[in-house]
Amino acid sequence: MKLREKARLMSETDIERALRRMAHEIVESNKGLKEVVLVGIQRRGVFLANRIREVLRQIEQEKVPTGELDITLYRDDLTLLHDHPVVHSTSMPLDITGKRIILVDDVIYTGRTIRAALDALMDLGRPSVVQLAVLVDRGHRELPVAPNFVGKNVPTSREEVVEVRVTEIDGINEVVICEREA
Amino acid sequence: MRMEWKHRHVLDLKDWTREEILLLLDQAKNMDDLMDRPIKKVPALRGKLVVNLFFEASTRTRVSFELAEKMLSADVVNWSASGSSVGKGETLRDTAWTLEAMGADAVVIRHGSVGSAHYLAKKLHRASVFNGGDGAYSHPTQALLDAYTAWKHFKNLEGRKISIIGDILHSRVARSDIRVFRELGCEIVLSGPETLMPLDVKALGVSYEPDPRKAVSGSDIVYLLRIQRERQEEGLFPSLDEYYLRFGADLDLVMHAKQEALVMHPGPINRRVEIDSSVADGAQSRILQQVRSGVAVRMALLYLCLGGVMA
Amino acid sequence: MILFKNGKIFDGQAFHEGLQDVLVTEGRVDRIGPGIEADGAKRIDLGGKTLSPGFIDLHCHMRDPGFEWREDIRTAAAAAARGGFTTAVSMPNTDPAIDNDALIRYVIEKGKAAGFARVLPAGSVSKGREGKELAEMGKMAEAGCVLFTDDGAPIGSPRLFRTALLYSRDLGVRIMEHPEESSLSKGGHVNEGRCSSLSGLKGMPSSSEEIGVFKAISLCRETGVPVHVTHLSTGRSVHLVREAKKEGVPVTCDVTPHHLCLSEECVIDSGFDSRYKVNPPLRSKRDLEALWEALSDGTVDAIATDHAPWHLDEKDLPFPEAPFGIPSLECAFAAVYTEWLGKGQPFGMERLMALFTKGPASILPKGWSDLGMLAPGSLADLVVIDTDIEDVVSVSSWRSKARISAWEGKSLKGWPVMVFVEGKPVYSQQGEKTK
Repeated sequence: MKLREKARLMSETDIERALRRMAHEIVESNKGLKEVVLVGIQRRGVFLANRIREVLRQIEQEKVPTGELDITLYRDDLTLLHDHPVVHSTSMPLDITGKRIILVDDVIYTGRTIRAALDALMDLGRPSVVQLAVLVDRGHRELPVAPNFVGKNVPTSREEVVEVRVTEIDGINEVVICEREA
Repeated sequence: MRMEWKHRHVLDLKDWTREEILLLLDQAKNMDDLMDRPIKKVPALRGKLVVNLFFEASTRTRVSFELAEKMLSADVVNWSASGSSVGKGETLRDTAWTLEAMGADAVVIRHGSVGSAHYLAKKLHRASVFNGGDGAYSHPTQALLDAYTAWKHFKNLEGRKISIIGDILHSRVARSDIRVFRELGCEIVLSGPETLMPLDVKALGVSYEPDPRKAVSGSDIVYLLRIQRERQEEGLFPSLDEYYLRFGADLDLVMHAKQEALVMHPGPINRRVEIDSSVADGAQSRILQQVRSGVAVRMALLYLCLGGVMA
Repeated sequence: MILFKNGKIFDGQAFHEGLQDVLVTEGRVDRIGPGIEADGAKRIDLGGKTLSPGFIDLHCHMRDPGFEWREDIRTAAAAAARGGFTTAVSMPNTDPAIDNDALIRYVIEKGKAAGFARVLPAGSVSKGREGKELAEMGKMAEAGCVLFTDDGAPIGSPRLFRTALLYSRDLGVRIMEHPEESSLSKGGHVNEGRCSSLSGLKGMPSSSEEIGVFKAISLCRETGVPVHVTHLSTGRSVHLVREAKKEGVPVTCDVTPHHLCLSEECVIDSGFDSRYKVNPPLRSKRDLEALWEALSDGTVDAIATDHAPWHLDEKDLPFPEAPFGIPSLECAFAAVYTEWLGKGQPFGMERLMALFTKGPASILPKGWSDLGMLAPGSLADLVVIDTDIEDVVSVSSWRSKARISAWEGKSLKGWPVMVFVEGKPVYSQQGEKTK
């Protein structure tokens, strides 16, 4: 499947500003950062969570514990895939029971990834609250899942793909929208 | 990251590339972490039926596979056929067709005949076959868990030296370990009585050194094989006592290896035959880690081979 | 009367010049030459194809009496004919073993009734093939047996072997020995060497066969009675025969098509498919090359199939559990011819053809020694070979009852297209295609 880049939705600066605003919203919504734990969803969500943590450290002078969550083994579409997604690591810095978890992902689309992430979290412990922060919401939900903190809402068609790029993986920070080529 | 995993079965390691082994080890690492969780279960193989078909008595391998299968939420059936497969009861071919009719998605087979896993794989159209040991030919999951144990410790295995001591001639563990460690770039030396060595060690890509102290010199891993009483009864060496005297791994033997060398054994161990308690229970021993590695490696294999084959 | 026109005529030893004709009258070859005409004769235009004496197989397991679900004399004879063999020698390891004249006559009669290839029986050396007492060799020779052998196993003891040689000297029927030292090969499944080392399957060492051959040559030398050693598979074995022949010892030998074409690598490469399980086992590549050298320099007298059919249920088992044996009657010539082509024709075609005709004929008793010859007066046992056709072996279409063979799926060249026994057609590829 080939993708053709159509347009750039967010520049590096746009991303930084959005994450900064979301960090403020997280502090406001949780009335501070007590018991808050950031959990980035593999792979790009992890890097975004790290950035949010950095912003929170700047604005509240607090180091928020941050974990990584791989949801591959909880996917509901494993039997339908031809290629096998590789499993990445899952590691929590502490027991999540009783904590206020902020799941962080790059894009929310059908909502199935978040459903899998919730199942994975529940097997790790019993958080008191789970909230969701995404950089891009591109619509077309198939499950009743809604993000609490959104960087940018982007209406898309099903033939389009939204790609969040981070320097750690892609060498650049930007969000682009692509189209599947015939 | 997506990649093509082209193995439907795990019968032997003959055609596995270095890249495939390293990928497997990487995935095993992530499965390993699952074992430290409060809930040691993920739904990845939910709804899949795995049959453990063990014709040879084995507690450790079967239990290890069973744990791996259950941790991935698969449905597990244990089918033990005691007694030999030669003409007694159902033939392997009929068993295969029965399993297929039952809807098995995977079969783990341990059988006394070399080539039995390959045979079963040829007879099954849909299910994946995992070789839990076929005669003296192959025990691929053991070799992979040994590689994982070594890799976890050393990180890089390229150029390392491994000495394998014991009854190589009758050992599927030896043959499989030789394959996997050679593919990872290790140099391998065999030792033990010549009556327990295959005729053509060059064909295996290894060398033979009759003096175990010389063989072990400079080794990063000293791998000990179990000595079976039947071999002594066949007259291939005079007594277990003499075997221990000449080839048993005691502190003196292990001292000839590198200081940071690991001692490994596929289990179960025969104390005072191939290994002394001081070594088996000592700091260099990785025997218990191997057991844990077994579950992680088998989980990784089940996940890679069973996930997503049917579009 | 049949008139074969325009054929490349092979007489058992050499090819005639150019294309010639052959006239067959009353079951015998009447005349050979260019431009023969004969009124009332059925004309068959060979169009340049090879016409040869029919092939002779010295070693064929027909499983009859006693194991007819694997093969019987009728199906074996039909299979032999399809493979270009006009004569096949049946092995006596049946149930009961063929150790008496009544059973010799049984085999001959059943073969005649079948009406395909001529079946000549071998009788066992020992009573019941038990390797203890001499069988009634005299009576069997009288009844028409053409070889004595305890094949499947070596003769029970050197003492019995020697006694049998001395006793049978004047009978004019050769003893064929299956060379194997059982204490070395017992429990083995494959060649002891690369295959056993890599696979963990127990090996049968080369020395087992070598000791058997040495023993046979030693007794042959001492008694002066001719001995034939069968299915040699190693370089050491043919070396011993070569040296013995130089000395003038009356020893002869044969090799099988599978040992000439397949090596021990097949076992592992095929994932331990039991179709490659045979005794003696497929050997190393070096042994295979040594066998071809022995074909080249005349050490080997004949190619014999050791056709060993099994019922599907008996052979389709994991390797160590399966019985030994490769059936090959219907493609034996094509297999060897194709391998010979593949090796760049290491010797002349007449040498190759002789290994299927005059060579084996010379091992049979004097009464049959004009088999394997195409000359005025010889029996019209003939095979027409098309060396250009290439075909894929499909065991399910065989006349033999065997349904598994090492040759399945192999693409081979050089097929018999018409076969005659004493002038009577017993196989025609055309006929089969129109069925």
